[in-house]
Amino acid sequence: MCGASLSWSGAPSPELLVVQRYVTSQARRWVIDNETSDAAYVQQVLNGNSDAFTRLVDRYYERCARFAVRMLGDRDDAEDALQQTFLRAYRSLGRYQEQDRFSAWLYRILVNQCRSAAAQRGRRERVFVREETALLNAADRRQGWSGEDEELVQRILAELDPLLREAFVLKYVEELSYEEMSAATGVGVSALKMRVKRACDRLRARWEHIKDD
Amino acid sequence: MRSSLLRAIALLAIATTVSFAQDTLDPAADPLRRLDPSTRYAVEMLMDSARLARLPYGPLESKALEGIAKRANGRDILVAVRRVFRALRDARAALGPSATADELTAAAGALRAGIAASELSLLAATRNGKPLTMPLVVLADLVTRGVPRDTAAFTIFQLWQRGAADDDFLGLWRSVERDIVSGTNPSVALLNRAREIPAKGPSTAVPPAAGVRPEDAKS
Amino acid sequence: MTDELDSLDPNVRWIVTEARRPVPADAAARDRLIDAINAEPVPSRGLRLVTWLLQPRRLVLPPLATAALAAGLVGVGVLGGIAINRDGRPAAVQLPAAAAGQTQLPDSLAPRAVKFVLIAPQATNVSLVGDFNGWDSGASPMKATDGTWTVFVSLQPGLHTYSFVVDGRHFVSDPTAPIAPGDGFGHRSSVVLVRQPSL
Repeated sequence: MCGASLSWSGAPSPELLVVQRYVTSQARRWVIDNETSDAAYVQQVLNGNSDAFTRLVDRYYERCARFAVRMLGDRDDAEDALQQTFLRAYRSLGRYQEQDRFSAWLYRILVNQCRSAAAQRGRRERVFVREETALLNAADRRQGWSGEDEELVQRILAELDPLLREAFVLKYVEELSYEEMSAATGVGVSALKMRVKRACDRLRARWEHIKDD
Repeated sequence: MRSSLLRAIALLAIATTVSFAQDTLDPAADPLRRLDPSTRYAVEMLMDSARLARLPYGPLESKALEGIAKRANGRDILVAVRRVFRALRDARAALGPSATADELTAAAGALRAGIAASELSLLAATRNGKPLTMPLVVLADLVTRGVPRDTAAFTIFQLWQRGAADDDFLGLWRSVERDIVSGTNPSVALLNRAREIPAKGPSTAVPPAAGVRPEDAKS
Repeated sequence: MTDELDSLDPNVRWIVTEARRPVPADAAARDRLIDAINAEPVPSRGLRLVTWLLQPRRLVLPPLATAALAAGLVGVGVLGGIAINRDGRPAAVQLPAAAAGQTQLPDSLAPRAVKFVLIAPQATNVSLVGDFNGWDSGASPMKATDGTWTVFVSLQPGLHTYSFVVDGRHFVSDPTAPIAPGDGFGHRSSVVLVRQPSL
């Protein structure tokens, strides 16, 4: 499934050191395994083989879809954002630098695309948040706290300020490092840490309120 | 030979700063990168606070960029950004929750020029859906040019009460400015020119407010 | 990393766990994407820049600006809907009504062409900076004709703060515009209020 393997050329390669650093997290291992082949696929596309891009799409589509849905709340909007993201990535492939991680570069496009999509929704999103808050309260009173409810989580995330939500989702759901988050959002690491903390504080406070209702 | 020509053209293209919307990965996504880290952090925190307080954060970022362009040091930039934040917050308190980002920005300017918040509240209380941006801009400008605050605030308020529209305020500003430049006492100039504006009935048709939302008013 | 999760509040941890669930992929959407990609020209490094250069270049102005320029209108500086000639006489400007219908954004967001003018015969270069271009002096350079520097800029309706930069160093306010009080850096800026196109 993961396809590529690291190439060993005798002396411990930089990849080994990187793997050691990230070996505790399954997500990280997946990322490192794929890192070298991402660059290889990009090169193939630039050499004229557009099928190689399909491989990259397959590799990243679900993860990007999850981020887009968590950010935008709406499947249709998320799909549009996804389309735009991969199309832009494809068009700008010539500008991708090999020293950048493809996933980091892709995330940057994705983050910006979701921001644009949210901005265009603008007023509608604010109304959505207010309505959903009301619905959320109503639903909880009827159903109580059910364990697996994606819609519930989606509504909770929608209540967060978009930038706090973005930082929270990148950090805990997409499991990016702060450096990667900084590259994707254009915001400094310290500010991102503060946003993540604020998001957690708000979620904690909101959840307390739900349980008390 | 041809490849070196192509390379030269490519280099020329890189040096040109024409931007084509579609495909560029936006370097403007990181506009504050030229700030030193601690200033940057403080500015971003202020912007976050503005967002959470439902204040427009665009003016804060813009002020930081202005400071960078004017080669100010980090401390001065931070002081200026903080001042903008406080002025916007006070403007919000004076104008109320329905004020648009532009009105807040204009009101912040008026506060900065020394107009009292209570004057702004008076203007806001008698809006009837008309945007306050233009009268506030004119008010701030005239005070900066030397019209005493009380005179300026009172005169603008009177005109506002009498139904003056954006064009009236703009015309007023233009003629007063010309008078001041030609040597007329600022207070006298304003009072004279204000008299020239006819009172209008309360039912004057006015264009609806520009309605730029705080969250995406990054103008 | 899992140890980071452990340090979270249990309710927040629950939110994260649920949020990490994969979103079921829509095969049709993915197929549409692949189709769209296949319809694109294959990207290439470097050469792309050249073909772009060799194509005839168009300055992308919004429809309103193009129409205004085509109509030969000068002094389109829309300071509250009234054009200002440098001698101070106002000249009413009617932008062609047809142009308004061609904008893709809703009318309240459609950018408008605004002309900025500074008379500075001694200057070697002048540019326009403001909140609409990140105060970047490279973004809107002005062109001189007989010491009068001008530039057209596309601005969103609303309030904008700006200044001119002369010879890369001197920040000069616009003598024909209201002052923005106290920039905080020892200079004066100017204000322009761009009006919406009339409905």
